[in-house]
Amino acid sequence: MTSSYPWWWLALPLLLLPIWWHRQKRQRLDAQSLATARFLPAAAPQQLRVWQWRDRLLLLVRCLLLVALIAWLAVTVLPWRGDTVLVDAGADQAWAARQIADAGMDGARRIDLPPDALAWLRHNERDWRAGARLLIVAREGQIGMPARTPQFGHAVELRVQAAPNVPPAPATSPVSHRVALSAAPERVQAWRALFAAFGQAGDGAQRYVIAGAPVASTDLIVWDTPALALPADWRAPHWWLGAGSDKSWPELGKATTITINGVKLRYADSARGRLWTSAAFPPQDAETARALYEAWRLLAVAPAPAYPAPSHKFAMASAAADAKPAYWIAWLLLALFLLERSLTHARRS
Amino acid sequence: MMAATRDLELVIRHVLAGLGHGIHAGRERGAGVEFSEYRAYAPGDEWRRVDWKLLARADRYFVREAERDSHVATWLWLDATASMAEPSRELKGVDKLWFARTALACVAAIAQRQGDAFGLAICSGGKVAFTPADRGPRHLQRVLARLAAARADGLPPTAQVLKSSLHFARAPSLLFAATDGLDWHGQSGPSPLSEALLRLRKLHHDVRLLTVRTRAEVEAGFPSGAAYRDPEQETGLHRFSKADRAAYLERSAAHFGALATSCRQHDIVHHEACIEQPLADVLRRWLQKAGAR
Repeated sequence: MTSSYPWWWLALPLLLLPIWWHRQKRQRLDAQSLATARFLPAAAPQQLRVWQWRDRLLLLVRCLLLVALIAWLAVTVLPWRGDTVLVDAGADQAWAARQIADAGMDGARRIDLPPDALAWLRHNERDWRAGARLLIVAREGQIGMPARTPQFGHAVELRVQAAPNVPPAPATSPVSHRVALSAAPERVQAWRALFAAFGQAGDGAQRYVIAGAPVASTDLIVWDTPALALPADWRAPHWWLGAGSDKSWPELGKATTITINGVKLRYADSARGRLWTSAAFPPQDAETARALYEAWRLLAVAPAPAYPAPSHKFAMASAAADAKPAYWIAWLLLALFLLERSLTHARRS
Repeated sequence: MMAATRDLELVIRHVLAGLGHGIHAGRERGAGVEFSEYRAYAPGDEWRRVDWKLLARADRYFVREAERDSHVATWLWLDATASMAEPSRELKGVDKLWFARTALACVAAIAQRQGDAFGLAICSGGKVAFTPADRGPRHLQRVLARLAAARADGLPPTAQVLKSSLHFARAPSLLFAATDGLDWHGQSGPSPLSEALLRLRKLHHDVRLLTVRTRAEVEAGFPSGAAYRDPEQETGLHRFSKADRAAYLERSAAHFGALATSCRQHDIVHHEACIEQPLADVLRRWLQKAGAR
């Protein structure tokens, strides 16, 4: 069952039905007696229909009844979600599976972690049934710590994967980016030239250290050898894949395409990190390299929240107050229904 | 005030008090008439006609009956068809039937005072209800009761019914007819009602016609936009919008113009009245027209 409550307001044109039904139809019965009617032109009964409404009180009550019914349907939320796990797609899948099993939520429905997950959850919490449990599995830095503990009407547990401890680089030395490069021999030179150019473009503040294999602090892996088998333990936040990697990377099948500075990029999230690919990899001329550099700067990873939220179990607060208005509307609905029935009965008798 | 009164006699006294004496054409009364007999007092007799000496002797009221009866009978003809139920849209409680029967009741009272014999014919529901002509206050009470009991209902009587009802046509008489005139012309040519009155006129009866209408009927003053039904026709609806007003007035004027012409041709006294007018005025004019002839 899908809850689509605001759409109920689209049913308001139903009000036209009673308005149409109450239109004066039987003018014939209401014809007045007039002794000199014989001097008036004769008329067929159809011509005597005029836009009048009979039983206006009943019409009003019926319209109110319909409005109250639609309002009640629109504000009443039928909770439909059960136990749910919100999974950060970028988190380590094995770790996430362990956490889910640990929490006893194996059978729970999994949905992707939305941005600003706690606020989103607070906003949409009425979708969950009363006894449902929620588990959020995310990397550290994905969820900012709110200033006050959010009050949830459900049991919500937040499990955060600790980020590898990277010692911050000294502020004075240039920021160094570790890049693991695996490319065909004829392209290695092009890639190296590119990162050398990147280093120059940043006025020397950015340094790109190129290695053959990634370490824990590697920011970027350039994988331009689709023919080779991928080492299983290679992980990095970002991957640049050479053109034609779609076969070996099934995640790219769902890739999103963006165009920045004339450079067309496709990206998709996978368990190993975010995958980027483009026909322009590696850039063949200086213009393309410059455009790629600008695009990459614009796409720089969003800064992590200053105070990332740690793992936490949110205690269940009192029942959410969101369902309250539906009660008085329901009573109003009942009263209007009784009134409508009484008036209809009084009209008949 | 008068419309709220159900007591016809009270209304008659009120109207006739305003009317004065001697309006009625030519019938002598009072002085110089031979004494004929005594009879017992009946309500409605004038006090001055009571013989006070006889009261002292016999301890009963007796009225001196004089030999002054005229030989002319007065007939009252009331149209009580369904169309007469049309109420006034200005005066509450007044309808055409009330006006017509009150006017005829006043005529009856005048006739009774003058010693004329008077009878009543009420056309209602396709029939004619006769009250034979007679004299005296008791008869007046009877006639007033019949008038008060008349209900506007049904269609005018057919030609056969009327033909068999005209038995009073033997001696010349005075005929006061009160109608709304709507049945004067039928669907094709003159209606049985008008034919009967014209025949009576040809038989040298003095026919005096009073046609009563409401002011709304005269001026087309009823609300437009509504549907109307003829009370004397079961089926058929009529509409009235602002555009139909001129046509209505034209047809109405043509109808009543033809009625007036027909009366003039046959030397019938005809007076048109609106039921919103004061009854005494209408009565005076009606009777004056008759007297002027």
